[in-house]
Amino acid sequence: MSKETKKPFRQSMTEWRQFIYNPNSGEFLGRTAKSWGLILLFYLVFYGFLAALFTFTMWVMLQTLSNDIPKYRDRISSPGLMISPKPDTALEFYFNKSDAQSYAEYVATLRKFLESYDDSKQSQNINCTPGRIFDQNDVAVKKACRFNLSELGQCSGKEDKTFGYSKGTPCVLVKVNRIIGLKPEGEPRIHCTPKEAGMVEINYFPPEGLIDLMYFPYYGKSLHAHYLQPLVAVQLAINSNSTKEEIAIECKILGSPNLKNEDDRDKFLGRIAFKVQMIE
Amino acid sequence: MASFSKMIPQQALVIRDGEKKELPADQLVVGDVVEIKGGDKIPADIRLIFAQGCKVDNSSLTGESEPQSRSCDFTHENPLETRNIAFYSTTCVEGTATGIVINTGDRTIIGRIASLTSGVGNEKTPIAIEIEHFVYLVAGVAVSIGVLFFIISVSMRYKILDSIIFLIGIIVANVPEGLLATVTVSLSLTAKRMAKKNCLVKNLEAVETLGSTSIICSDKTGTLTQNRMTVAHLWFDNQIYSADTSEDQTTQPFDQSSPSWTALSKIVTLCNRAEFRPGQENLPIMKRVVVGDASETALLKFAEVILGDVMNIRAQKKKVAEIPFNSTNKFQLSIHETDDPNDKRFLLVMKGAPERILERCSTIMINGKEEPLDSEKAEAFQTAYMELGGMGERVLGFCHLYLPENEFPDTYLFDTDSMNFPTSNLCFVGLLSMIDPPRSTVPDAVSKCRSAGIKVIMVTGDHPITAKAIAKSVGIISATSETVEDIAKRLNIPVEQVNRREATAAVVNGMELKDMSSQQLDEILCNHSEIVFARTSPQQKLIIVEGCQRQGAVVAVTGDGVNDSPALKKADIGIAMGIAGSDAAKNAADMVLLDDNFASIVTGVEEGRLIFDNLKKTIAYTLTKNIAELCPFLIYIITSIPLPIGTITILFIDLGTDIIPSVALAYEKAESDIMNRRPRNKRKDRLVNEQLAVYSYLQIGIMQSVGAFVTYFTVYAEQGFLPSTLLGVRVNWENNAINDFEDSYGQEWTKYQRTYLQWTGYTAFFVSITIQQVADLIIRKTRRNSIFQQGLFRNKVVWVGIFSQIGIALILTYGLGHVTALNFTPLRFQYWFVAVPFAILIWVYDEVRKLFIRRYPGSWWDKNMYY
Repeated sequence: MSKETKKPFRQSMTEWRQFIYNPNSGEFLGRTAKSWGLILLFYLVFYGFLAALFTFTMWVMLQTLSNDIPKYRDRISSPGLMISPKPDTALEFYFNKSDAQSYAEYVATLRKFLESYDDSKQSQNINCTPGRIFDQNDVAVKKACRFNLSELGQCSGKEDKTFGYSKGTPCVLVKVNRIIGLKPEGEPRIHCTPKEAGMVEINYFPPEGLIDLMYFPYYGKSLHAHYLQPLVAVQLAINSNSTKEEIAIECKILGSPNLKNEDDRDKFLGRIAFKVQMIE
Repeated sequence: MASFSKMIPQQALVIRDGEKKELPADQLVVGDVVEIKGGDKIPADIRLIFAQGCKVDNSSLTGESEPQSRSCDFTHENPLETRNIAFYSTTCVEGTATGIVINTGDRTIIGRIASLTSGVGNEKTPIAIEIEHFVYLVAGVAVSIGVLFFIISVSMRYKILDSIIFLIGIIVANVPEGLLATVTVSLSLTAKRMAKKNCLVKNLEAVETLGSTSIICSDKTGTLTQNRMTVAHLWFDNQIYSADTSEDQTTQPFDQSSPSWTALSKIVTLCNRAEFRPGQENLPIMKRVVVGDASETALLKFAEVILGDVMNIRAQKKKVAEIPFNSTNKFQLSIHETDDPNDKRFLLVMKGAPERILERCSTIMINGKEEPLDSEKAEAFQTAYMELGGMGERVLGFCHLYLPENEFPDTYLFDTDSMNFPTSNLCFVGLLSMIDPPRSTVPDAVSKCRSAGIKVIMVTGDHPITAKAIAKSVGIISATSETVEDIAKRLNIPVEQVNRREATAAVVNGMELKDMSSQQLDEILCNHSEIVFARTSPQQKLIIVEGCQRQGAVVAVTGDGVNDSPALKKADIGIAMGIAGSDAAKNAADMVLLDDNFASIVTGVEEGRLIFDNLKKTIAYTLTKNIAELCPFLIYIITSIPLPIGTITILFIDLGTDIIPSVALAYEKAESDIMNRRPRNKRKDRLVNEQLAVYSYLQIGIMQSVGAFVTYFTVYAEQGFLPSTLLGVRVNWENNAINDFEDSYGQEWTKYQRTYLQWTGYTAFFVSITIQQVADLIIRKTRRNSIFQQGLFRNKVVWVGIFSQIGIALILTYGLGHVTALNFTPLRFQYWFVAVPFAILIWVYDEVRKLFIRRYPGSWWDKNMYY
């Protein structure tokens, strides 16, 4: 049985020094230069082989994939909702209608967001038949449907450059997440409800918050390059007696049986909640 | 200590103030005068001032089995040897004595042994040291990688809190959670297996200690030998015959046609007082219980084997007179009628010390004829006697005489006191020699120890000649090696002139040992490979053990007496005898041999080595997947991909799928070389050495990680996130407010959809590690042999492990896939097979590694790849 005698500090230091570099045997960290060379060469070859193998298998795997649509789409069977502008802090809008600076960021975001909907960008897009799914399965070149900004009415930013923020009627754009091949049934529309009634009046553009079926289905980034997803603008006319109060609003997608909006775990699946607080 | 306490005599008869008093023995003081008589336990160490026919049984103290006579005479300097001291805790067998108390309590000899036993500390077992070393190593790796990545993550501008979480994550991934269970299970399994082979393991860790044993100090009597006198040789007609001494003899093969043998067999049968206990007719002869002393028992059984019913023969030849053996005569004599009705002569038979018997003879029987005992024949007798004695055997001479009918008619009254019959001018018939023969399994066991690089040292209280003879017959001293004395005899030079280095064997007498300095003892232990210590006092056993330990050896000691307990305790592993052993010895020992059989020790050594090997395999198995658990974390920190595997999932591997397989490796059979390599050097051969760690971490572990990452990327790519999209997404990916996260195909994902995909990634990664751990488990079955040499299906438990592993993974994935908290999701079936090629690669690579190790022993590959 080994007698555990504590080595004096100096001795163990010497041993360490010997281990790091041993001048007698020329060993550095317990190996000679030749031994280090061999072992490093071995690992170079070994890891080189593994890296090549990894690259090869990844390449083979990628070859099995299509460029146009992902192999599986079961993880996103139903779209989520998202709004624009999206405040940094947890979907809460704070602004002062008389202070342009307080909402400048929202306005800038909206403007930027709507850039791609500008008529000049939609020159290649065609006018589709409203109210019908625009099926292009048999067509090689998928066309994108035109989405006229005018449909957003007062929220199009054309008449009111501040999207209503200066008037106390802020606009929020609600969009449905793009999902390849999604064909909504029925008459999908966005409907928003404030938590407490009477604080806000809600206007929808297009009217009733309707989402036209002609914008579906989506064929993916590469096939459907100019695709524009339909938008619904929600204009909140905040009552003058409700200023300074935080107004909670929940928007849901309704009217379509195959678009979920009541998922327990996913709070953004077919719905979105945000808060608005305006001061004068 | 309870067994020591039990020895305390209850009462002592003390003379105080001129009165005899009964006192509890613990109230005795030095100077008290006590009286003892047959049957008493000695109440303290006493010096005798009066003794009458007093004999004491010192066996519990010194191991001497025969009662020792005690008198008032000072006969030896050594208190243990002198006759006028009786020791506390020994028993007075017969006679009476009066003595003065000289020591009481802890100061008595036995008390000193007791305090020596409790004083010898329980030191750490080798396996405990190894596991501690392993823990340091793993902790070192975990903490240094953790700290390294803490620094990296801080410098990559992760938040401090995040970095600390990473640090904890890395450390958790590195902890082999299942190891404790595995070690305990393997030790208990082995203990159970050993119990089946009659080794009772008291201290679990001792099993492994036995495996690293490099010196065994073995007792002779009962351990190496059968502890039973048996006739080994006969001499008649001027020729030595050998008898069978095995445990279960049924016949004797030597030539029994000579009339001299007939005569000799008559004497053996008749001149013998030993008898079988009645009612044992169905038992084999060797197993029957005999009333009588050891030599007579041996002769009785010998005769019974050859002649059949001895009791019947004796009844036919009625005994008319008898002189039992005593130490003055040194012979035993009896006179019988013959069973031949025509022959009215009486037959006088005698046996005893050969030289005394020969003195009384004038003729010697050769081939059935009486011939005069001339000097030539006497010399032949001397040669035979010396030869048998030289083999360490106890020799008895036998002679007989047919009393002339005219002088001794059948009405003659024999008187044994006046000896009215001739006791000289007899006819010498032959010699029989007896020995306590080695157990038949021992020579094989000793040679196994030899080839396993274990030095077997015999330590006995017996006579050097007997000790040497037994040592030679069991192979402790091999046939070709010589002691210094042998060389001196062969070269005909004085012992002092012999070069001590030439002698491989040594027989050291206890008396020599007493005068030796520890350097001299070290020299003997170093220079001789075959050592016998004879006539050792039990206290010297401790010195020998310490000497061996000074050489850096791991020492196993066998013993049975109370006196052995300090040595048993001092030894790295004490082995007590289950049948012959005293309670104190069993208490002090780590292991008890229930059948007192030396061969069990060899089994133990093998099991011990097997445990060490299997622990190595288990640890190698466990360490491997740590890298596959750690790599994702490191890649996650560096490249900011979505986290490939979560902490909960890691715990499910460590404590779920991996537990049964790592325990299964404890059932693995030994590799073919297990008993052909040297005992491990406890300073150099660590449980977890550099090769093991490097091979597991940097080779197999990395291969596993690669396989698992391929699965991970496949899952994400097939759901829409190509590998190029994944790099650097961590911050947005984990942002709860981003619910329109765009994938490679332009689709938008909510946070929950991403999280769910991330769990699918966890599951895929988990499944891949599990699949590759199956390959890892298979390759860990051997370290050197090919799996096909070892047998893929021989260890059924490994397959239980594999099925459990896959079963648990299936349950977690499909059964509990809907429990959000566990972060598992039902996985597409094909993802189970993505890592299979990598699993096969692991197996093939390891087979190649083993092939090179076997092909090129000692090569660079062997040195760097064999763990």
